[in-house]
Amino acid sequence: MRKGLFYGLLFTSPAIIGFIIFTLGPMIASMVLSFTDYSVFKDQTSFIGFDNYKTLFSGEDEFFYKSLGVTFYFVALRVPAVILLSFFIALLLNMNVKGRAIFRTIIYLPSIVPAVASAMIWMWLLNPDLGLVNSVLRWFHLPESDWLYSEQSVIPSVVLTTLWGIGGTVIIFLAGLSGIPRQYYEAIEVDGGGWYSKLRHITIPMVSPTIFFNTIMTIIGSIQVFNEAYILTQGGPNNKSLFYVFYLWRTGFRDTEMGYASALAWVLFIIILFFTFIVFRTSKSWVYYEGEGRT
Amino acid sequence: MTGQKKIATVFILMLFLITTVLSACSKSESTNGNEAAGGAASSADGNAGKETITLRLTVWGAPEEVEPYKNVIQKFEAEHTNIKVELQHIAADYDTKLTTMVAGNDVPDIAMMESGSIAYPLAEQGKFYNLQDFLATDSDMNESSLVPNITYSLEPGNVIGIAPGPETFALFYNEDVFKELGIEPPPSKASEAWSWDQFVEVAKQLTLDKNGKNATEDGFDPKNIKQYGLNLPTWWGSYSNFIYSNGGDFVSQDGQSFALNQPEAVEALQKMADLINVHHVSPSPVQAKNIPSTNVALQTKKVAMAIDGQWASSALAQSNFNFNIGVLPVMKQPMTTVVCAMFSIFKSSKHPEEAWELVKALIEPEASIDMLKAGTWMPAARDWYTDEALLAKWTEGLASRPSGYKDAVIDVLLNHSHQTPTGYVKNFNKIMDVVNPALDKVWLGKESAQEAMDSIAAKAQEQVKGRRDIAN
Repeated sequence: MRKGLFYGLLFTSPAIIGFIIFTLGPMIASMVLSFTDYSVFKDQTSFIGFDNYKTLFSGEDEFFYKSLGVTFYFVALRVPAVILLSFFIALLLNMNVKGRAIFRTIIYLPSIVPAVASAMIWMWLLNPDLGLVNSVLRWFHLPESDWLYSEQSVIPSVVLTTLWGIGGTVIIFLAGLSGIPRQYYEAIEVDGGGWYSKLRHITIPMVSPTIFFNTIMTIIGSIQVFNEAYILTQGGPNNKSLFYVFYLWRTGFRDTEMGYASALAWVLFIIILFFTFIVFRTSKSWVYYEGEGRT
Repeated sequence: MTGQKKIATVFILMLFLITTVLSACSKSESTNGNEAAGGAASSADGNAGKETITLRLTVWGAPEEVEPYKNVIQKFEAEHTNIKVELQHIAADYDTKLTTMVAGNDVPDIAMMESGSIAYPLAEQGKFYNLQDFLATDSDMNESSLVPNITYSLEPGNVIGIAPGPETFALFYNEDVFKELGIEPPPSKASEAWSWDQFVEVAKQLTLDKNGKNATEDGFDPKNIKQYGLNLPTWWGSYSNFIYSNGGDFVSQDGQSFALNQPEAVEALQKMADLINVHHVSPSPVQAKNIPSTNVALQTKKVAMAIDGQWASSALAQSNFNFNIGVLPVMKQPMTTVVCAMFSIFKSSKHPEEAWELVKALIEPEASIDMLKAGTWMPAARDWYTDEALLAKWTEGLASRPSGYKDAVIDVLLNHSHQTPTGYVKNFNKIMDVVNPALDKVWLGKESAQEAMDSIAAKAQEQVKGRRDIAN
């Protein structure tokens, strides 16, 4: 038993050591720094207690609430869109059709395109005058949009660009779907149920742990959105895409206010923790694990 | 049993490997780009016997911009055999990299710096030598030997950086477009510069819709413009020219109050916005996304005139069409804003004297003659503008320096130039964080300049922290 523990720790040690050095250490450091006025260039750093947090919440820093609002709007749009779309695509890809492997490859392909490259592609596609998207709309005499360049459409546009990269989520759904035993569907067929009954009573309950997992990961990923603001919009127009992490980065690296940026980072951590907790709490009523009754 | 042991041994070896790699990470110094380390260190001239010292220099820039530095270093090392220069070319994320180096106490002796980003935050913490001390005693290079507005000061008398050369704004245009339409091209002399109204009138005649009607004619279709009269970028560097020309500023003379909501600045901003939204002669920020870089835009006649920095000359020279340079239109007085990078010497350098010599060598125009001829740079030394022979070296018979260049760029720089706001407005970035979103609405024609600036004046005022060019 002791020997098992030793080898267990030994074999996981690369991951554990990596976690301690590259994640836990910096996290503790940033926790400490969030109570200081640390700026990289200053020679002395002093503890200022909760002042950073007070500045944040008191409304003195208008960008804090603005960036929170922008980010929540983005999350509210993106999470349902990603989950519904990737579940739908996974259902299609799970059907026994010719060329299934090719379709799966095509759907997954954008996920391996580097974020910057994909952002650049979208910048061209969504160009208001010359972009392919507006050109097609113009062809069909449909109303055009300024996409990334107007206050109203910037967030939906960014959501659209990120939907291109849902291949990873689709793959996880596919894994969940392929784990459903055939017999359940056969039972429904015997009882005379159609596709809706299969979906409603077999598929969704059976993949609910996967939906649960994907929802949490998508929420976390969406709250941490950064690349799109950094590459596509620089937070504009009129701060309508000033995502929280982009603002955090700007504070830390452009304004070199690392102490304050650390406080921002910890607030973000708490927010993510809170959302994850909420999803976990509600999960009891809609996630089914095999061999478990409904509670 | 033995199999298990073997696996354990392999894992322990892997652990060792990981720790070695990690410890190597913490103390790795990249020296990419340093080709100048020659074998000439053992020569026996006057410097022999002195201890060999190493100077570290960090720069950014495209490869062809780094090439002159390498030449300078090679020459410098040949002349100072006891000095070895380690050039570190940081091509991307320069500020982040330098910030990290500062945090890790791994600072270069000399760094190329940018006034709009981390130069002043560093200087405020006393991280740079006061170059005034060197300028005051140096016989070769001092303030009068340099062109105006290329030194940056933390406060009067404390110079934190010197630019390798100025960059100014001018009006670039396609000569053929003017010929075809029979319109007199922009003047190049500041004394003959267009007034704003003349400028607008010409820009209207140059703006053509898809039916060939220009912006002065009835039935002109501003929704389908084929050729814009003008491309006027909407970033601060661009509009600062006209705010200064109109007698305005970003902050007041005493540095105490926000000034972009004052009549002079508001008028300049509004007139610029009117070019977009009232006269339809310049693309809006949204439409500007379709306008290619200045050289292509002018060559393809997507625009007839473009306001851009003189650095555009280089790409224009390589494009095969007749471009020329005119002086910027004038609101109240001719004016151009000088924007430039700078070289600073870190306080932590153990060899400030040698570092100063290297800075001088880097700024010396002869060393970067290729970049001067190409059109990308302008020299820092005043005699390269005033001495006919030296001036000819980088302005005569070159594609990058068309006929209007001397009047529209050189004369304006020497007589009508203004320092970049990043060089004297304290807390510039934070002020602009408040201003830029409001200006977005002005460029899109949703608010007047007065409304937009008034609406954020109070918030911007909170960020006003004074000026660097006056004693506070």
